[in-house]
Amino acid sequence: MKRDSVAALMPVFKGLGFGAVGFLLGGGATVGVATLLGRPAWPVEAAIVIGYLVGLAGWLLGVGVWDYWARGWFGLPPRKAEVHGWRRYFHFTTDHKVIGVQYLVTFVVLFLLAGFFAMLMRIELAYPGQTIMTAARFTHLMSMHGIIMIAVAVATIIGGLGNFAVPLLIGAEDMAFPRINALSYWLVPPVALLLVATFFAGGFDTGWTAYPPLSEVNATGQVLFNLAVITFGFSSILGGLNFLVTVARLRAPGMTWGRLPIFVWSVVAASAISLTATQFLAAALLMILLDRTAGMAFFSAARGGAPLLYQHVFWFYSHPAVYIMILPGFGVALEVLTHFSRKPLYAYRWVVAGFLGIVALSFIVWAHHLYTSGMAEYLHGPFMATTELISIPTGLIFLAALGTLWMGKLWLRTPMLFALGFLFNFLIGGITGIFNADVPTDLHLQDTYFVVGHFHYTIMGGMIFALFAGIYYWFPKITGRMYNETLGRLHFWWMFVTYNTTFIPMFWLGIFGMNRRIADYPPELGAVNLFVSASALLLGASFLVFVINMVRSWARGPRAASNPWHARTLEWQVPSPPPEGNFPAPPQVAGHPYDYGVPGAVHAVVAVTGAAQGGPSGEGER
Amino acid sequence: MSGHLRNVAVLWVLLTVLGEMVALRAGIYPPAAAEEARVVDSAFRLLLLLAVPVFTFVLAALLYSVARFRIRGEPRGDGPPLHGRGIVPWVWLAVTTALAVYVIFNPGLRGLAELRANPTADLVVRVEGARWLWKISYPQYGVTSRELVLPVGRRVRFDVTATDVLHSFWIPAFRMKIDAVPGMTTRVFITPTATGSFEDNFHFRLQCAELCGLGHNLMRSPVRVVDPAEFEAWVARAKAP
Repeated sequence: MKRDSVAALMPVFKGLGFGAVGFLLGGGATVGVATLLGRPAWPVEAAIVIGYLVGLAGWLLGVGVWDYWARGWFGLPPRKAEVHGWRRYFHFTTDHKVIGVQYLVTFVVLFLLAGFFAMLMRIELAYPGQTIMTAARFTHLMSMHGIIMIAVAVATIIGGLGNFAVPLLIGAEDMAFPRINALSYWLVPPVALLLVATFFAGGFDTGWTAYPPLSEVNATGQVLFNLAVITFGFSSILGGLNFLVTVARLRAPGMTWGRLPIFVWSVVAASAISLTATQFLAAALLMILLDRTAGMAFFSAARGGAPLLYQHVFWFYSHPAVYIMILPGFGVALEVLTHFSRKPLYAYRWVVAGFLGIVALSFIVWAHHLYTSGMAEYLHGPFMATTELISIPTGLIFLAALGTLWMGKLWLRTPMLFALGFLFNFLIGGITGIFNADVPTDLHLQDTYFVVGHFHYTIMGGMIFALFAGIYYWFPKITGRMYNETLGRLHFWWMFVTYNTTFIPMFWLGIFGMNRRIADYPPELGAVNLFVSASALLLGASFLVFVINMVRSWARGPRAASNPWHARTLEWQVPSPPPEGNFPAPPQVAGHPYDYGVPGAVHAVVAVTGAAQGGPSGEGER
Repeated sequence: MSGHLRNVAVLWVLLTVLGEMVALRAGIYPPAAAEEARVVDSAFRLLLLLAVPVFTFVLAALLYSVARFRIRGEPRGDGPPLHGRGIVPWVWLAVTTALAVYVIFNPGLRGLAELRANPTADLVVRVEGARWLWKISYPQYGVTSRELVLPVGRRVRFDVTATDVLHSFWIPAFRMKIDAVPGMTTRVFITPTATGSFEDNFHFRLQCAELCGLGHNLMRSPVRVVDPAEFEAWVARAKAP
């Protein structure tokens, strides 16, 4: 058994070995060239950059790109290992369901890690003055919390639930580019490794935004951060491309664009952004690397560069990026609300228009992050206008949600509770966003805890609540087992209450002069901070309930039926978990996925292995 | 159906009245000590006033639906197939668009115009951020200081810059903020309207609001707003040595 486990982990070990060799080769060559050219100092950061690029190639080849893929380029037959069970998750597997689980588990673990960092930060902030850590350690932990949570928000729903569910929902057997899909996932471990390595390279103290000139003069940890984020961006671009092509080309017969489940639409919208905007983030971070390692001066004012330039390029990606995070959250929440209300999704076409409207507007609002940056003042009005307008397509999501709940038969299981919690939290996140979009109020609120409260309400209260809705919703399909409902409800109520008591007071703190990203604050703000910290620790504890539920249910939970929610969409018409290839034959889609209560409506006819039509699929056709 | 609509409408009105009472009375503003702070606070107040009915509308519909339409046990049968293809989404679109456009103009553009109306100043103060302290100088008087002292009722132009990394000039009691950027001079106009000092009220502080490294949270200078006569005396004392 033990040797067996080692063999199962072989690709990972091979990747790490090849990666280490590549790093030494690349780094050594850089040092060698520099010495030959007679450069006096050790080019440590340049060596890290070049070493990392070669090492990354080594890691990818070792972990499976060579065996499964690149051998073919040289006329060699690919070497595919036959792996089953948990071992698949450590291989360069191309099955979208395996990759979905890889993403989900990896990013839930990262979510818990970055949440643990937040707990440490809140302990430090419980009392004024230094309590458990130095300002330097706090700033590093805060920056780590930020960037890991950004990655979690970008990748968990779309990479995890999207990979698992989208091909099933559209009646496809896999993604359009299964090997690129595996590549997207296996680019993630180097990102995590680099971020952890910043602890040994002096950390980085710029937050996740990495504003120069600070990011050009701080410790070497910044270089590792930039490499990590560029790598992650590459993975994100490949993922976006893959989803767009998959939905465009692999829909089952009869699955028209007008019949796509809403979660699929949300993934399409988010993918359009990640495919086209991520390059700007990578470019901005690359320019910082070039400033640091190659003596260029994009952002160094002393040498003719412009610090403000970075902020424009950075936010040109990073504002659309919040819609990469939240659009799939909208999708999951509406999907769950519809099935658990037993009603058609209200104003379906309006929701799709809303998604596309958000995508379009998301590209022309970025400078609302720059009201206080010193950019030309005549830009304030136009960017305020575009930003306020984005509430119109977003409002359509609420129309659809409320219209769907109205007169429904609300089945309040755990996924539904989280979807309802999403609506409440995102409502607060959206409304407080208006205060940040408005220039006069933002001049005071910018860079304060009001902003911290606002974006946690949209991303954590919104996207993370939707993520949990999706995890509980698809858990029986993914694992073939049922989670524990009592623990699920306990998790929801515990998290919902402590979440709100943690973040509501932050709005007050921001108005009352607490700026963000600080290890210490005026003692006058001590009482509210203590309350926030106590709430935050209770909030952190709620995730233990989730972890216990997931681990126990996955190992020993009761077997789940193929369609425990009596839902109409395609993934519930195949066994739990779905077999490799998903459908024995392409499903024939005949109608809308959400026609609950419409007499005689049929979404699709799905052939079932070993049985005539009917069986479990009959559920969805009632 | 119409009974449900009436119930939600009643709930909405009740919640809105309650919400507006809280929003109008709650002491959620720190002391405002500048004309600009008055503009910011009145914008905030107006947005809050408009936000309450939006919030309570969704909340009322949400709470009523959950309370009234929930089922016990497994679902038997479906709800009515309302597809939302009629007039309702158009009305929703019209109302939300009207709200968004209104907010752009008021308090948005109106507040901006008020803040930008008067680009003249009686007093110029130069503020330079360097890790991790503010260097404050009064070029009209040839005075430098570690404390920001201002005469009440006089319009001040701050010329802000930085020597190393980004900083941000923020005085909570004035509600104004502008980044200090190396290689650039950014400007902000402030007219203090009330005397006060950091010793008595921590909102009278010049706080760095842009992450600038290790000493970021300590990068603050006390602010003191005094009578013009006292200001002249302070300038004379500062020049003396």
